Formats: sequence, structure tokens, C-alpha cells
Amino acid sequence: MRVKSNKETKLPHPPVRGTGATVPVPQEEEVRDLLAKGKAKPAVELAKEIHKRCGWPESEALLVDAYAARIQSLWKTGLQEEAKALFELVHQRYSCAAARLREVGVLVRASDGNLEELLRPLNDPALPQEIRRTIEKAIGRHVFDLSALAECAALPLDHALRTAAAALVRAFAAVTTGPIEEATLVLPEVSHRGPLASWKILLCAIAYFYRQDDAACEKCLKTVDPDSAPARLIPALRTMLRARTDGRLAAAADSLVARVCGSKVSLERSLQALDSAFKTRDQGKILPEIQRAMTTCEVAYPQLVERLRQHISVRALQLELPTKKVRAALGGASTKNAYFWRLYARSLENSREPVGPVTCALWEQFRRHAVAEGWFGENGPEAAALYLHMAVLLLEVPVDTLEELESNFAEQFSGFQAFYEDQPPAIRAVEAKYKKRDLYFLSPSKLFERACSIDPHREAFEQWLNWARQESDWRVADYVAESWHRAIPNHSEPLLYLMESAEKRAALTKATAFLEEAQKLDAVNPEVRRAAFRLLIAQAGRHLRQRKLHLVEQDLAALEALPQAQVGDRPAFLVALRWACQVIRKDARMGSSFLSQIVHLLGSAAAATLACENAGAFGGLTPADFESHLPQKVSLDLSDSLVSATARVCGLGDDVGATFTIPTAWHDRLLQELTNARGRLEDRQLEMLGKAALRTNQTELAYAASVAGLEMGGDAEARFLLLRARALPEWEFERRNDCIAAAVELGRRRRDTSVINEAVELRRGRRNAKRNFFDWLDFEDWHDFSMTTEQMQAVLQREKHSPTFPTDRSDPFRVSFSRETMFLDDEDLENDEDLENDDEPFTLEDMARLAAEMGHARGRRQKRARRDLPGQGDLF
Amino acid sequence: MKTERQANIRLNEDPREILGVPPDAGDERIREAYLSKVKENPPDRAPAAFERIRDAYEVLRDPRRRALHMFLSADPHAPLLSLLPASKQERKFTGPEPWLAVLREK
Repeated sequence: MRVKSNKETKLPHPPVRGTGATVPVPQEEEVRDLLAKGKAKPAVELAKEIHKRCGWPESEALLVDAYAARIQSLWKTGLQEEAKALFELVHQRYSCAAARLREVGVLVRASDGNLEELLRPLNDPALPQEIRRTIEKAIGRHVFDLSALAECAALPLDHALRTAAAALVRAFAAVTTGPIEEATLVLPEVSHRGPLASWKILLCAIAYFYRQDDAACEKCLKTVDPDSAPARLIPALRTMLRARTDGRLAAAADSLVARVCGSKVSLERSLQALDSAFKTRDQGKILPEIQRAMTTCEVAYPQLVERLRQHISVRALQLELPTKKVRAALGGASTKNAYFWRLYARSLENSREPVGPVTCALWEQFRRHAVAEGWFGENGPEAAALYLHMAVLLLEVPVDTLEELESNFAEQFSGFQAFYEDQPPAIRAVEAKYKKRDLYFLSPSKLFERACSIDPHREAFEQWLNWARQESDWRVADYVAESWHRAIPNHSEPLLYLMESAEKRAALTKATAFLEEAQKLDAVNPEVRRAAFRLLIAQAGRHLRQRKLHLVEQDLAALEALPQAQVGDRPAFLVALRWACQVIRKDARMGSSFLSQIVHLLGSAAAATLACENAGAFGGLTPADFESHLPQKVSLDLSDSLVSATARVCGLGDDVGATFTIPTAWHDRLLQELTNARGRLEDRQLEMLGKAALRTNQTELAYAASVAGLEMGGDAEARFLLLRARALPEWEFERRNDCIAAAVELGRRRRDTSVINEAVELRRGRRNAKRNFFDWLDFEDWHDFSMTTEQMQAVLQREKHSPTFPTDRSDPFRVSFSRETMFLDDEDLENDEDLENDDEPFTLEDMARLAAEMGHARGRRQKRARRDLPGQGDLF
Repeated sequence: MKTERQANIRLNEDPREILGVPPDAGDERIREAYLSKVKENPPDRAPAAFERIRDAYEVLRDPRRRALHMFLSADPHAPLLSLLPASKQERKFTGPEPWLAVLREK
């Protein structure tokens, strides 16, 4: 026998007669508990066991109930086929199943499309509410065919469901066929609480969609029950609204999107996917997306294919993706026209890498193609603007880095030939036109010159002249100023520059000629007036040095006639020059008279003495010449401020263009007063005091001036950082570099080009000067001026909180920010046996090693792996 | 006091598109388009639109700024989607069948 009888194991049915009560099944509660907890599978297993043991109608009912729960659970997890198969099996096997599986049967039949089976129970007025609700729920969720519902014979013709479905069918056809009236969607037949309510909302969404009212459409989509049958259309509608969708659409939805919107929406989705793939920088994800995007683009937007290919090429070049694979995915090489080169140049510009020459080379390629394609003329203002743009790009690279980059580039660059493979003849012809190698784009000078000769204007010449002023050879800047003057003769700036330059070289006749020319152009210009004053002062100084006193008198008379000579303390300086004349004439009486005038004008004997000393030095007198004409000892009352007087005279020196110094004998008193006089001096005077102190190597005094200046804060902070840089001892080279870099950054932010120029000159001057041992370290550790805001602030705060002049080399300055770790930290020092108990490792080898370690520890900008120059490898 | 005003249209905006002029339009054509757009969007009724139109005109009428805009407006990092023209998309009426097909698809 194949099926083993288990009659002998079954429990006898308990005799319960006449009570009508059901017989309690052993462990029934346990099964019901499991069902209540949603554990249908173990419930079925247990119920099966129980029924196997009992075999009673009650145990069978319990088992069928467990199966019903199991069928529902399968249904909910999307296993409709399995649920249906189990339902059929249970339905056939157990006699009580028909009644007990009625509810779950509704679900199964609904999925079957067997609407009649599903709906027929609704005709029964005595149908329990629970089952009615289940049927309606099933209609809402599983009835996708409204026409079938409208024509379902199981319900009477005038049944509310059939009427509502028929109305929806008509409205659906109307809304998808053409513009509709508002009234079409009123649909009073469809109850907003009924099972078809979501259909009504969907139709509204579709209507808004076609009216291009995307916000209203989206609002409707949000109210559609996500479990309802019409919700299946939501992803397609959202895609058509350009909203993001998770995953790809099914075939029918894709087809709907393509038919309604063309394939543009598919292209949008492909482009979004490609953008996301690029963000991952993962070749495995990028390449398939490139291919997909290109295929979609060819279908949806053929006119965009080339442009898309160019954009993808540039992105791939940036990520250094394998050429052949990218090219294959693109379906060919992108066209290397002006559009491509501009895009590529911009991508390099944005890369924040020191790639000035390469970027300029790319802009040159753009220029060639743009001219050939008629974007602009070879000598048009656009070409000039481009030359200027390229020059400015080169100026952003630190001078030394630029020199290195330029020489590397010139050595390695062999053109962009690789880019022109597989290019149309018209594109190749452009490149072929420029056979002669011309690397003019590596030279800011040549770029400026081209820009200014095509489109001469003030801003371009100013930029060129600012660049030229940084060159050590004065003739470069003079050439620029002369070019400017030739191109725009009515500008006074080049004449003033030429005047200043000639004055610096003591070519005063030449300087005067330039000044006269400038005065003819614009005599009331404050700069011209100031220049006239300074030039006359310089001329008087020269005549004094030549002992041509009658000419000095003429100069002074001319000076006194100038209104600008009456401003501030300038009259005091003119009197000081007259005093110098009397010293030469050995006229003690007149000298004394002039000295008294100066005391009166400056309000201080000390200031007058200092002004006279400096005026004398300006006129070529030695201290021996004038010592008998000045008080031997400056007497100062306690209430007098030597530092105020000195600062005032130093400010005057700067104003008249003379180089003033401070007697070293005043050092201690000045230092002491400066510490107490903070806040009482003007920032300009303080700065000049510091600079004057530096001229006689009074670095501690200059440092104290920088302390007072930094304490004042404000716009002059950058200048006092530079003063601090100058005042620091030689061995504080790292700190000095930080101060200069922070000053440049502050100057950039405040658009103070004079600070930037001064900083550049300071670095240049240091580098061009004869080097000592520390300069050698400095040179090796040269870095650019780039600093983040945080780093700049850190340096500023550090310097503000460093009021003491550094004197102890064994107590090196430490910093608390990450850009520079100037010296080995304590731990390093402790662990370094060679340095233990040895303050100064002063063998050359030790120093070189230390310098190397320091360079490493500072975390200098890592040189990036040298990538091939364009044109050297395979390209897209 | 008359001060020089910096145009503040974004780099990725095409000033020619704002004024509705073709790429090869000359100064005269640009000016005409500007005046016509200003008439449509006077500053008292549409201040934002007017600002945009004026900015676009200021970029286009100065050859240097026009040139700089030409160089710098290329954005290799812009989303690729921005390559597509921003016009309203076409929405074709297809009848119910393609819609119902989505509903029927399992």
C-alpha cells in the first residue's frame, strides 16, 4: 500500500452530544497565536500535524484557516502563482475549504482576471461587510481593465461599479486623445471613497500633464494610492515630467514615454545616468553609460550627438580614461573644432593644477580654430581678449614654477598631432596651416604685446606694466610704458611711470621732460601734481649734492609755489633743505633760524633734528658736515614722545620720496616708547618707522613697529605682515615665507596690488641677492604664495600673538596649523639620536639633511605625477 | 552719479538667447532686439526680467566682455543634461492604448 494508513494513530473524536458546542482541538490556541503573529508557515506545519493526529472536522477547519493565512502571505510577497496553486490544492482537498477560503478566493480570482467570480458576491445583499470590503479592495488594487469591469455580466447593468467604470473608460480615452474640457473630469459616477477613486485622480494627473501644468500633475500623482492599479502609471508619468525615477522603466512604460515625449526623456535619463557614472570615476560604470547615452542620443537627438561626444571626450581626458575604450563607446573620435578646444582649455583651467603653459597651448588651439570657423577675426577684439586671458593665466603661476613649467613644456611639447587623427579634412587643414612651431603663448610679455597691439586700452596696458615692473631689468617696464604712450598718447600713466623710472636712475632731465608732457595732458591730475612735487624735490636733492646752491634756491622757490607743497609736513622738509644749504654755506645763524622754524613746524626738537639729519643726508652731507649745526644731544622732556616724532618724520620722508633713517642711538628709547605708545600712531607712520629702522639694521625696532601695527588691525595688516617678514632674523626663513604668503593673500582679498607687488619684490630681491647659508635653505624651500583663508588667518593670528622679537635660535618658532610644520616637533627631536643634546647640527651634511626633513614635514604641495602633455599619447 | 555696473548674468546663460538674437547678429540687430525686449518687459512691471535683459545687452555691447563671456561660458563640468535645449517638451496625444498597455504589463 502506497499510502500508509494512520487510522490507528488518530485520536478518537470526543463525544459531545446535544450541546452544539465545537470540540476544542488540542494546540489550537498555539496555531491561532502563530497566525496572529503573521507566522503563517509554522502555523500551517503545526495545523497539519494536529489534523494528522485528530482528523476531526474541527482540526480540518483549523488547517484550512492556516492555509488561508499562508495563501494571503504568499500573495502579499508577490508570489501570486504560488498562492493560486496552493489555493486550488486546498480548495480541492478539503471539504470545508469552499466556505473558509472565500475571502482569499476573492484575491486569487481577481488576479485571474475572472471578474465575474470576483464580483458576483456583490449581488448578495447579505454579503458580510468584511467580504464586501475585501472585494472592493481587490477591485481597487487588481482591476486594471476598466472596460472589462464596465461590461461585467455578473453585475446588473446599472450597478454603481459598472457605471463608474464606463465613465472612467470614456474619460480615459478623452484625456489621452486630445485636449479636454474641465467638465469631462468631473465624473460624478465615480465616488471618491469607492474602489475606483484613484483612477479619477490619475485622469486628472494626465490632464494636467498634457496642459504642461507639471506641478498640478505631480500633486495629483502624490494622492494616487500607491497600491492601487492605476499607480502603475506613476513611474512613467514622473519620467515624462523629468523627475528622477529609481531604476529603469518596463518595456511598455518606455514605449509610452517614447510615444508621448519622443525619446527625449529617455535621453535625459541616459545623460543623468552618465553624469552619475562620471562622479564615481569608475571606468567600469562610465563606459557602458557612455555607450548607452550615445545610442539614445542618436535616436532622440541626432543633432546633439557631436556636441555630446565632445563633452564626454573632455571629461574622459580629465579622468585619463583609456582612449581606445572611450573612443569605441563614443562610436568615433569627437570633432576637434573650436568648441572642443575651448571646452578642454576650460576644463584644465578649472582643474586647479599648475598647468599654465598647457592651458595656454589649448587656448591657442581654440584661437586657431575659432578664427578658421569665423567665431572672430584674427585681429579682432576677441582675439585680443583671448591673448590677455592667456597672459593672466600665466601670471597666476608662481614665477619660478612658471619658468620650470615653461622649459619642461618647450622640451616635451611636439604639438597636438594625435588629436587630429580621424578628423575631417577641414579640421586637419587648420592645424596644417600652422607649420612653424611658435610658443609665443608661453611668454606673458608676448601675449600682452599682442593683446595691446590689437586692442590697446588702459586695463590691458596696466596689467602688462604691472607684470613688467616685476622684471629686474628696468628697460622691460620702460618698453611697456613707451608702447602704452605710443598707442594711447593721451594717457598720463605711462608718462608718470617713465618719469619715475628716469628719476630712479637719476636721469632727472629725462624725468622732467616726461613730467612736462604729463602736465600738458592733465595738469590737475593729483598723481601728476604729486609727481611734479617729488621730482622737484629730487632735483633739489641733486643740486644740493652738486653744491649748486643757486639752483637749489630756484628749485625751492618753484616748490614753494606749488600748492601741493603746503600739504601736511611738507613745508618742514623744504625748510630742512634750506637749512642744508646754510650748512653748506657754513652760515650758522641762518641755519639756526631754519632749525627753529622746523621745530615750530614739527612741534618737536627731536623731529626737527631728525628731519634736518635726513635732509642733510639727502643733500649728500655727512654727519661731520652738519654736527655743529645741530644740538649735540636731543633733550626730551618726559612728556615728549620720541617715537611719535620719529614716526612723523619717517612718514614725511615717504611722502617726499626721500629715504630716511633713524639714529641707532635712539634705539632703546624708541623701543621702550613703542611698547607703551601703541594706538597713538598712524599706521602709515608706523610702517615708515619700521622701514626706516630696517635701513640701519634695527630689526628689533622694526619688529616692534610690526607688533604695534598688527595690533591695530584693519586694512594695513598685510603691510605689517610684510614689515614683520623683513624684520625677522635670517634663520626664521619659514616664518618669513609664511608672513609674505599671508600678506599676498590679504592683498589679493583687499585688491591691494601694491602689497602684492611689494611681496613679490621682497621675494625676488631676496632670491637675487647674494645668498648666505640660510638663503640657501630658503631657496631650496621656495614655495608659492598660495594660501587658504584658514591658513592665512592662522598666520595672522600667530603673528599677532607673537610680541617678542625672536632671539633664541635653539627655541625655534612652532606653528599650530597644518600647512607648515616648520621645525621638527618635540617628539621628532627626542627620537632623533643625532640631534639629541645637540642644539645646532651645524655640519653642512646635517643641515642639508635637516632641510630635506623639514621640506618633507612641511607637507609641501606634492608634485603631481607628470601626465603626458597633450599630443603625446592616444587621444579621443 | 553714473557708475559702471557689472552685468551679473550667469556664465552658463547665453545673452544672445536672452535677447533672442542669432549668433551672427551685429551691433545694430542686438540693439534693436534689446529695445524690443525692454518694451515687452519694462522695469516697472517686470523688474527681474528687465535686469536680465539689460545685463545680457551689457555683455553683448562691449566687445571685450562679449569675448570674455564667449571664452568663459563653456562649462565642461555642467551636467550633460544642460546640453539639451530648455524648451518645453512636446507631449503627444496617443490615445488610451499605450497607457493601458502599461497597466496591463506585469
